[in-house]
Amino acid sequence: MTLLRHYLYGLLILLLLAGCSTGKMVVRGSQSIMDSSLETMNRETDLELARQAMPANLKLLEGMLIEDPGNTELRLYAAQGFYGYAFGFIELEDPLRAAQLYRRCYDHARIALARTGVKLDPEHSTTADFEAAVSQAGKRAVPGLFWTASCLSNWINLNRDSPASIAELSSAAVMMQRVLDLDETFYHGGAHMFFGVYYGGRSPLFGGNFERAGYHFRRAAEINNDRLLLVDLLYAEYLARQQLDQPAFHSRLTRVIEAPVDLYPEMALVNEIARERAARLLEHENDWF
Amino acid sequence: MSLRRLFVLFMCAALLSASPASWAKRTWQLKFATLAPAGTAWMDLLEAWAEEVRVKSDGRLKFKIYAGGVQGDEPDVLRKIRFGQLHGGAFTGYGIGHFYSPARALELPFLFNSLDEIDYVRERFMPDVEQGYRDNGYELLGWMEVGLVRFFSKNPLYSVDDLRRQRIWQWQGDPMGQAFFDASGIRPVPLSIIDVYTSLSTGLIDTVYGPPLGALALQWFSKTNYVTNVPMANGIGSLIVSRRFFQNLPQDLQKLLKSTGKSTGEKLITATRRDNEASLEVLKAKGLKFTLNEEDLDVAELDRISARAGESLMRSGYIPEPTLSAINQWLAEYRANNKIKEPSAGDSP
Repeated sequence: MTLLRHYLYGLLILLLLAGCSTGKMVVRGSQSIMDSSLETMNRETDLELARQAMPANLKLLEGMLIEDPGNTELRLYAAQGFYGYAFGFIELEDPLRAAQLYRRCYDHARIALARTGVKLDPEHSTTADFEAAVSQAGKRAVPGLFWTASCLSNWINLNRDSPASIAELSSAAVMMQRVLDLDETFYHGGAHMFFGVYYGGRSPLFGGNFERAGYHFRRAAEINNDRLLLVDLLYAEYLARQQLDQPAFHSRLTRVIEAPVDLYPEMALVNEIARERAARLLEHENDWF
Repeated sequence: MSLRRLFVLFMCAALLSASPASWAKRTWQLKFATLAPAGTAWMDLLEAWAEEVRVKSDGRLKFKIYAGGVQGDEPDVLRKIRFGQLHGGAFTGYGIGHFYSPARALELPFLFNSLDEIDYVRERFMPDVEQGYRDNGYELLGWMEVGLVRFFSKNPLYSVDDLRRQRIWQWQGDPMGQAFFDASGIRPVPLSIIDVYTSLSTGLIDTVYGPPLGALALQWFSKTNYVTNVPMANGIGSLIVSRRFFQNLPQDLQKLLKSTGKSTGEKLITATRRDNEASLEVLKAKGLKFTLNEEDLDVAELDRISARAGESLMRSGYIPEPTLSAINQWLAEYRANNKIKEPSAGDSP
């Protein structure tokens, strides 16, 4: 009994010293489960299973974040989760809802970024102040910068009718350029995919640059040993479509559809999402070319 | 069956297939190009137009819209229309210069003082413009605007003299820009619009011009610190189709395309004015400072610039004298009418 009392006192003192609530302790104790959960989600090849499982996982993550709001890793998981759910399952069906989900992704990512010492508020900053703040970001800030920029740019993409959101595209580009400078391989060369879309999805008249887009898509493919089908999907959806290059559009999407399921087991879910989206895009081939 | 009976049957079938019933079933596809990217307010309105035409024509006339400049810039689209690969499109001043250059009188620098003046003159000028397009092989479907053009600069601008000290971009090959710069005694840096953003970054140029929404979309705002309050001109645009395509349509579809095109143009003008106003607020929030207010203006100097630009365009034949006179007359008419309506100092409230 005395031993137990000593143990409890010891635990209490530890908790007080760590400044931790019980909830926070539980969250931190179960973090490895979340790591594994994310890993199995990334390896999922059954899209329907993923579509149904993701909302519950996202709500669990948000619940854990209420207990442990300063947990950067969980924040980034939440950002990544909302991004993946909106992109993979909602955007084509319900763009308005997807825009709201991207906004939640952006909020989580920005909090995570602030935890690494980079407090950014692009919508309420002058261009000069914003660029100065981003230039201070170090390698530790790369994940926060990447997901903040990714979620912001996809939100802008679904709000192109608003001048205020159009203005933020340059903020997303500034953050992504910093990611590229600090670690071009982060999240499977995601910054290269961003710039592939950024330069490939617009007419040169509006700042597009097909040569640069081609370079970034090639680099993203190299970083993934040509196994991430998202690269081909985005190439077709943005660059080939903008260039009115129907053969490239068709062959890239056909490659995505016909690729083996075990092409990249660690990123199977993203590849399956790309496969489903490729089929949807091919349905529009005659409308666009 | 005898050969003669077979021939009669064949003739009957041929006549039946050319009857109004089969004519009514014939369908047309209007291949239409625009620089407006998908998802923008402009593109939403163009899509709504296409849908309205499809529904009201009972599916006989359908648009195939190429958005976001996928068919190239305006010179590319013009060429494709001439070759029959495309049938129509949404154009700005550049294209309008090819359809009927006198219409660009509406873009003369410092000519108008308000949107009301623009609307008044435009309404009276439109029959001439429509006929001018038609004579050159194009049918005007709707009129629109790009918006009031302002200067965006790295250094503050308070006068035309300040402008003369900047490295100003000029849209290469644009006669209107050339006329303005010549008339103002400014030596600009002619560049393709594609090179503007990079040239602002490298310092090759430090001043550009465009409507506020354009400065946001092209991200020029992120490389400049100041924007002028007083606009220099109003950028125009139009929705057109080639006469070759238009004349092949039955009359009811011609009427439908004209009436829906006109109302779409009006909606586009409203949306453009709204978005340009909203863009000014965004520019303020982004830290740009507004210079060159009404009170900074040397009105006499601006009038001289406007007149000189008009004269040089008249000499080159780009805008003929009768057009310029008519516009000045409408403008004087509007100003006189408006003056009468204004209460004088002695009037009781």
